[in-house]
Amino acid sequence: MHKWLGYIPLSLGTLCVLGCFPVLAAVTEYHVQLKDHLFFPSRITIPANQKVKLIIENQDNTPEEFDSFSLNREKVIFANQKATIFIGPLQPGEYNFFGEYNPNTARGAVIVERQKLKMPNAH
Amino acid sequence: MNALYRLSTALLYTLFFIPLSWADGIPVDKVYSPYVLANERELEWRFTSRQNDDGNVLAQRLAYGHALSEYLTIEAYIVGERDDTGDFGLQAFEIETRWMLTEQGEFWADWGALFELEKQHKEDIYEFTSGILFEKEFTQTSLTINALLVYEWGKDIEDEFETEFRLKYRYRYLAALQPSIEIYTGEDFVGVGPGFMGVHRYTGQKQLKWELAFIAGLNGDSKDHTLRFALEYEF
Repeated sequence: MHKWLGYIPLSLGTLCVLGCFPVLAAVTEYHVQLKDHLFFPSRITIPANQKVKLIIENQDNTPEEFDSFSLNREKVIFANQKATIFIGPLQPGEYNFFGEYNPNTARGAVIVERQKLKMPNAH
Repeated sequence: MNALYRLSTALLYTLFFIPLSWADGIPVDKVYSPYVLANERELEWRFTSRQNDDGNVLAQRLAYGHALSEYLTIEAYIVGERDDTGDFGLQAFEIETRWMLTEQGEFWADWGALFELEKQHKEDIYEFTSGILFEKEFTQTSLTINALLVYEWGKDIEDEFETEFRLKYRYRYLAALQPSIEIYTGEDFVGVGPGFMGVHRYTGQKQLKWELAFIAGLNGDSKDHTLRFALEYEF
């Protein structure tokens, strides 16, 4: 066996160790309600390249599963409870999500927009 | 929470530095993701065929899994293998639990832990595996790493520690088709090759997941190929 191959796991392990500590920056929260199998609001606009926290409150008496392939998230939201879903940092675009138990009604999208820079006042 | 990260970091680092032998058997297997989904139950079938200069090793696993909570899932396996005489039969029983240590996306990377206990059917051989599961998203790609520590004991085997390393770098192209590169290291084995996976959704929580990979051994043997295939029905 090539000896250098043994260093692959070592190198990858080192990379993992160097980057495994949590990022401690504050995360902006966005609140969403799920009622009668509908998300309110159904479109959530967030800034690009920032991690955010979606707090989804399920006001229905049945569980729902938040699902989005483009956001790479799956999470069960129990009846009459809240669930927290961390998303991002994301590139600008539209990322659809739906409720697996009620896919025809429980639908929504996360809209990721680039933040506009504040221009200084021209006086 | 910081203590948890330091602990997992220390475990991961130890796995790469302590001088242990690589694991026995077919080192190519599933690369575990650290995530657990509440309420999920699953039936799984895994097929692995390794062809090298010594011949063919064929293993199949049937499993039933059940999420016990939002963070913990348990799975029981029946393992079948083709023996030295060419007969395929029951080889082992296994119980496995996966523990999701962090919320997906909360930190720089996502972490989980894996614990497995296996008993050979006809021999007095036990195997306990513990390991760290890691996953990190890079835009539309995901890097998954498993670093496993295996302890074998029993009357029919010499007690020993071993290590296994598995890596999958996956491009989330479409739900139905996600190509990847997989890397494995085990006992005297380093393998690399392409993999594919996909998900087909039915109503509710029901979905069918498939995985396929073809791993070429880089051991210097003239021939060492492993084909692995897995079907997972979640409901």
